[in-house]
Amino acid sequence: MLRETMSSMIPTMRHVRGFDVARPLSIGMLVLMMLPLVFLPLASIFLFGTSQGLTSFMASLTAPEAVFALKLSLATSFWATVFNVIFGLFAAYVLSRYNFWGRNALIVTISLPTAIPTAVAGFALLLLWGPYGVLGRFLEPHGIQTMFTAGAIILANIFVTFPLAFGVIKPVFDTMSRSLEEASATIGATRVQTFWHVTLPSLRGAIVSGALLTFARAVGEFGSTILVSGNLAGRTQTAPLYIFAKFNEGQIEAANAIAIVLALFSFLIFSVLFFARDWLDVD
Amino acid sequence: MAQAARSMENLTPKENLPTAAASVVGISKFFGKTSVLQNISFDVAEGEALVLLGASGSGKTTILRIIAGLEQPYTGKIMIHGKDVTELPARERGVGVIFQSYALFPKMTVEKNIGYGLRIRKRKRKEIKKTVQELLSLVQLEEHRKKYPSQLSGGQQQRVAIARTLAYDPEVLLFDEPFGALDAQTRTRLRREIRELLKKVNVPAIFITHDQEEALELGDRIAVINVGHIEQIGTPAEVYNNPATEYVATFLGAANILEGIARKDHVEFGGAKIAAKIDAEKFSDGQPVKLIFRPEDVSLGLTQDPASGQSYFASGIVEETSFVGAYERLRIRLDPTGGSSGESGDTPFYLTTETPESQTAKPIIATRPKPETMAVRLRRGDRVFIGLTSFTLLPQNPPTAN
Amino acid sequence: MRKRSVNQAALIVVTLIGFALIPAACLPQPTADKGGLNITVYGFSILKESLERSVYPSFAAKWKREHGVNVHFTSSFAGSETITNQILQGVGAEIAILSIERDVSRLKEKGFVTSDWRSLPNKGILNKTPFVILVRAGNPKGIQDFPDLAKPGVRLIHPDPVSSGGAQWSVLAIYGSELVKSEKESGEPNKARALQTLRSIWRNVISTPGSAREARTQFETGFGDALVTYELEGLLMKETGKTPLEIVIPKATIFSEHPAVVIDRNVSAAKRPVVDAFMQYLWGEEAQQAFVKYHYRSGLDPKLDEANQSLARIETEFTIGYFGGWAKAYPEIIEGVFRDQVQRK
Repeated sequence: MLRETMSSMIPTMRHVRGFDVARPLSIGMLVLMMLPLVFLPLASIFLFGTSQGLTSFMASLTAPEAVFALKLSLATSFWATVFNVIFGLFAAYVLSRYNFWGRNALIVTISLPTAIPTAVAGFALLLLWGPYGVLGRFLEPHGIQTMFTAGAIILANIFVTFPLAFGVIKPVFDTMSRSLEEASATIGATRVQTFWHVTLPSLRGAIVSGALLTFARAVGEFGSTILVSGNLAGRTQTAPLYIFAKFNEGQIEAANAIAIVLALFSFLIFSVLFFARDWLDVD
Repeated sequence: MAQAARSMENLTPKENLPTAAASVVGISKFFGKTSVLQNISFDVAEGEALVLLGASGSGKTTILRIIAGLEQPYTGKIMIHGKDVTELPARERGVGVIFQSYALFPKMTVEKNIGYGLRIRKRKRKEIKKTVQELLSLVQLEEHRKKYPSQLSGGQQQRVAIARTLAYDPEVLLFDEPFGALDAQTRTRLRREIRELLKKVNVPAIFITHDQEEALELGDRIAVINVGHIEQIGTPAEVYNNPATEYVATFLGAANILEGIARKDHVEFGGAKIAAKIDAEKFSDGQPVKLIFRPEDVSLGLTQDPASGQSYFASGIVEETSFVGAYERLRIRLDPTGGSSGESGDTPFYLTTETPESQTAKPIIATRPKPETMAVRLRRGDRVFIGLTSFTLLPQNPPTAN
Repeated sequence: MRKRSVNQAALIVVTLIGFALIPAACLPQPTADKGGLNITVYGFSILKESLERSVYPSFAAKWKREHGVNVHFTSSFAGSETITNQILQGVGAEIAILSIERDVSRLKEKGFVTSDWRSLPNKGILNKTPFVILVRAGNPKGIQDFPDLAKPGVRLIHPDPVSSGGAQWSVLAIYGSELVKSEKESGEPNKARALQTLRSIWRNVISTPGSAREARTQFETGFGDALVTYELEGLLMKETGKTPLEIVIPKATIFSEHPAVVIDRNVSAAKRPVVDAFMQYLWGEEAQQAFVKYHYRSGLDPKLDEANQSLARIETEFTIGYFGGWAKAYPEIIEGVFRDQVQRK
């Protein structure tokens, strides 16, 4: 009797008087799954970072070395982004406009840094530019040192974020009709005018999202930076290195304060990415 | 007889037209090792609309791109208003191209699209505004000026594309399959609109299309392109009524083709003959020829008494009649004494009728307008006498294509 | 119309982002670069407090007093092996304070250190400290000596000998302690017993952090029952009072000895005087007292140690000399015993 009612109830469970049970159930599942994986770890950063009170939190934030680390991270990421967006644009242009021998090999090579452990990236840079490196050994006698400077951090950031902007921009190039550029040419525009007025506006969304992705990724870069920067507090220590150093020293509150800044920062970037992209892609 | 193999007026060369607005002189082009264009030459007169008609892959788009400067020819040159522009890049040629997809700039409004050519020419803001306003009213898009291309219908987009080129006073307009992306009804309407617009602005235009109906309606002249060469160039009437080649005959509408022998004053088809003035310079006595005629040029009678101005040259049996709206179409099998072959551009059905007669005789297609259908009713199995109001004679296996 | 306002919004967003990025574009001025001299010191992990809080400021004050010039220090602290590797890769350290002598040898071999560092006071050894065991408050696992760490259920945190000098000291402390004790008991060091103890202890290691300081942080965040480390780390932890713990003094243990060297290759002639002056200062009474205050034992004068009451009395102590110096100890024990017979089992 009971079993009968149960089994006859099950199909109706899915729709209780026109109410789709699957909807809240799957949304709940999603949030539940994200809770221990994403939400709670983030929340604990905030809890820990502010556990010693706001004054201690502010003190951690305004410590000169912390401020320096944040500034250095922003600056190095900025230049890596500038380079990679320009490069990404150029590479996407060449690789989607021209077909040549070795084109696919180039595409694969550009995408490679995504799969390379960032520590390997840092190590590779050291092997190249270090005092005994392939190129470094020729620069060293002239007193030129690239590693363990802000330049090294930019190089490392460029390497690890290399494919990001390219990866966002290239598909847009691929789907962009050639005839737009041809039309512009027949109307009388030079290549530069065509690029500026026709090609670039269509890439606007891709460029902004590529840049934000690159920037966000570069700000958070750790594995390669720790190898090439020298990790000198107040000199070559970026925000993630600062966090790691503070954690190692046992100053977990100081580490958390900066971690909160970085977390909020990436939240901001991805919000902009999410909301601005629709605006930017308006046509 | 009354209708000669080639009416003289149709043979009148075009040299007496005003000076050419654009000329294509001996263009050839290779893609890799394949020759895609061979020695293409033609002129477009001031205010004229020329249609390049050809199947896809015939090379017509390449011709257009070479004129626009988007491709370089292998040999030959492009002249625009007497100036050799072959070496000039696209942006310096002053041609207006209306792409098949219209290629409107998606991030610019209608206004901005139209004013683009002037903006990059650094014209004064006032001047741009005025020109754009004029063009907007010319193409009747004033109320859509602030819209983006994606918010417009296909026809509106096309008008924007045209206005965008007109803004900088192009020396010639090039239309690449302008109606390819539109439905049949819009097509017909837009064709008329464009013709009117072109007459208004009086800019020479070159269209490319694969649609013969479109070609006939749009073109002051039509150039039929086939695998990289021009088969024939002439007015729609010329090209339709007096196809220079079998390809032209079959590509533009339906055509019956019979093989025969040219004689002094007639052509023989098996036992039948048809009177014709034979141009002695073109055909020698006894030369095998092809007789080409359109279904609507066939006149049918129940008796051998010719109607005015016609002569019956053969008889046949009606195999099938079908009603296709404006006219009636008949398939007629010539009596075995008739000519040896028949073929029609769009009627492959003779292959399916395997009667004993089909071994010796092929069917021809005839169409009759409604009044005639009413006057003389024909049914399957009726014996009819066949006359031609107009036909074209071509040598079999022509020595050269053009 | 709507599209237009959306486009303007987009423009505003992009412009704002652009403006926000302008300050980001400028590389920040190094915090220490406010004029004056800068000395770059790379130190092994536990040196941070004593140097930054005491030694640097007092030397800077002294130099300012005597020469009227500001001196700043920039430093990086990590495992001894790690900073040595960084210096070998070209990091611009001018002075290195290392946990183990072996790292000085590596720097010498590659030509980074050219001066005779042994000619510095106390044969170049700056300070020392015994190796002890840290356990949770109340010593719930009942650990009294190194062999107790091998007891089942004890979870041990031990830094990684590959990157940490302290970890190598720790291995030597455990191994040597057993040798010393067995020698005391039977007159003959029992190598098999020492190896067996080391092996069983290593079965209980749950984590090998990169440096002694990282190991301490892990212990502080609640991992593990015991940690073998420098005595001063335990005392510093007790001072902060964040983690209740006890320090267990083994029956016999090693004193780690920490050399300080000038990286001659990186020191410009102009900076040589201040760098040398700082080196002399390190062995001076003021700096040595500072180290003792931070729970090191002086490398110079045992009497200074009396100032610090919290330093424990060690029953039986030995040094690297017991193994015949680092030149023998590293290949024989760190490689021959630990790496080949403990870690690879």
